Amino acid sequence: MFALDDLSLVMSTKSWRLEVLLCITLICRYYYQPKETLCSVEKIALSLESTTGEKLCSVEDCNQGTGVYQRHGYIYSSLAGYVMRKNEGEELPVISVVRETEALLLPDVGAIVTCKVTGINSRFAKVHILYVGSTPLKDRFRGTIRKEDVRESEKDKVDIYKSFRPGDIVLAKVISLGDVQSTYLLTTAENELGVVVAHSEAGAQMIPISWREMQCPQTNAKEFRKVARVQPEYLEA
Amino acid sequence: MFSVLKERVGEILLPGDEFCCGPQDTLPLTDSGKAGRLVAGPGLRRSGDRLLVSRSGVLRHKEPNKFWIESQQRRYVPAKGETVIGIVTTKSGDVFKVDIGGSELASLSFLAFEGATKRNRPNVQVGDLLLAQLVVANKDMEPELVCIDGSGRANGMGVLGTGGLLIKVSLGLVRRLLAPRSDLRADLEQLFPCELTVGMNGRVWVRAGAVQQTLVLANLLQSCDAMTAAQRQQLFRRLQQGAF
Repeated sequence: MFALDDLSLVMSTKSWRLEVLLCITLICRYYYQPKETLCSVEKIALSLESTTGEKLCSVEDCNQGTGVYQRHGYIYSSLAGYVMRKNEGEELPVISVVRETEALLLPDVGAIVTCKVTGINSRFAKVHILYVGSTPLKDRFRGTIRKEDVRESEKDKVDIYKSFRPGDIVLAKVISLGDVQSTYLLTTAENELGVVVAHSEAGAQMIPISWREMQCPQTNAKEFRKVARVQPEYLEA
Repeated sequence: MFSVLKERVGEILLPGDEFCCGPQDTLPLTDSGKAGRLVAGPGLRRSGDRLLVSRSGVLRHKEPNKFWIESQQRRYVPAKGETVIGIVTTKSGDVFKVDIGGSELASLSFLAFEGATKRNRPNVQVGDLLLAQLVVANKDMEPELVCIDGSGRANGMGVLGTGGLLIKVSLGLVRRLLAPRSDLRADLEQLFPCELTVGMNGRVWVRAGAVQQTLVLANLLQSCDAMTAAQRQQLFRRLQQGAF
């Protein structure tokens, strides 16, 4: 019932969290008997610190999925989470490690994201990415919209202050994931991308007038923004 | 509502005072004034159908329809287009960081001087006083200065010379000094020859022939801040009799 080799593997580390998690899994496994072997939640694979991950199996046994990496003919996990083995008929099963049982959505190159402007500079605008497509993200990823990526025409005459302000909600597209230290690079250089919701200096939500102006309903003051032309089917009354 | 406002011109108003008006009576500051409509200047704000006072001061009026609140404050808020006196704090790369008395340090590119090129760098050290103009100044971004005007000429801007004294005064005094027909300036002219550089951020740089005269001038300006015109003229008269 309880596999002793599993226990011994985990007891070798001194973390109490490991023991608790293992006990929970073993109890779950005792109660949960999977009928099909299509997708089975087997055991907790933990990667310790950053140097070594837990060895899952050898390359001959399974194919590599997400959350795992290959080294010297073996497959190791690179995340702390659940191991999922998917059998796909004739081919080898695909092994992957996920944090929760659903997959985590990450912004990919070419994805349309909804973000909020946090700060502006004369050269770029810093944003927090809130939604990828229509799914909200649990963590806020950081993005940058450079001055030359704000619009298509007259790229060198762009004034960031007349395109975005802190607090605006912007639709943008991912052009690059960036490296370790930099943020996602985004662009609004299309008609359908740009500011969708903005508040005026008086505090009221503004109404778009043209592709570059919005008006405040309380003070009738016009402010400059790079406004997105939202498709009519996405507008709700 | 026009008449209600006109009655109170010259009175001291406090933040929170309201005037009720119809929605078609007011215009935002960005539009030009038309006869019969009211232009709300600094210190007045429109909110729905009311006009709110957002600063404490005296209500002033200029024909035909401009109203604003004139307030005495010492803290400077950077605004685009104003000429200010700044102190250079750091030199990083090709940008100087200048303290202009606002909430953030302003940046000044070294190419923004007359006759400056990538090879010909301006002779500016940390601690120098500069007269510069604000090109970018809003609450969201860092302020930016330049020492040239639109056509590329210095026009009096740039590093201020040696031998002078920098004093800090209130913004009201600065406006009085810079007004077109200023009695304060006329009185000062009659004292002794001097050089006065006024920055809109409340900083004044004075230089006169002798060090003693410079000090006298500096003290005068500091005390003129809180005096009425009559008191000031009395002080000036006493000074002229005493000095000469």
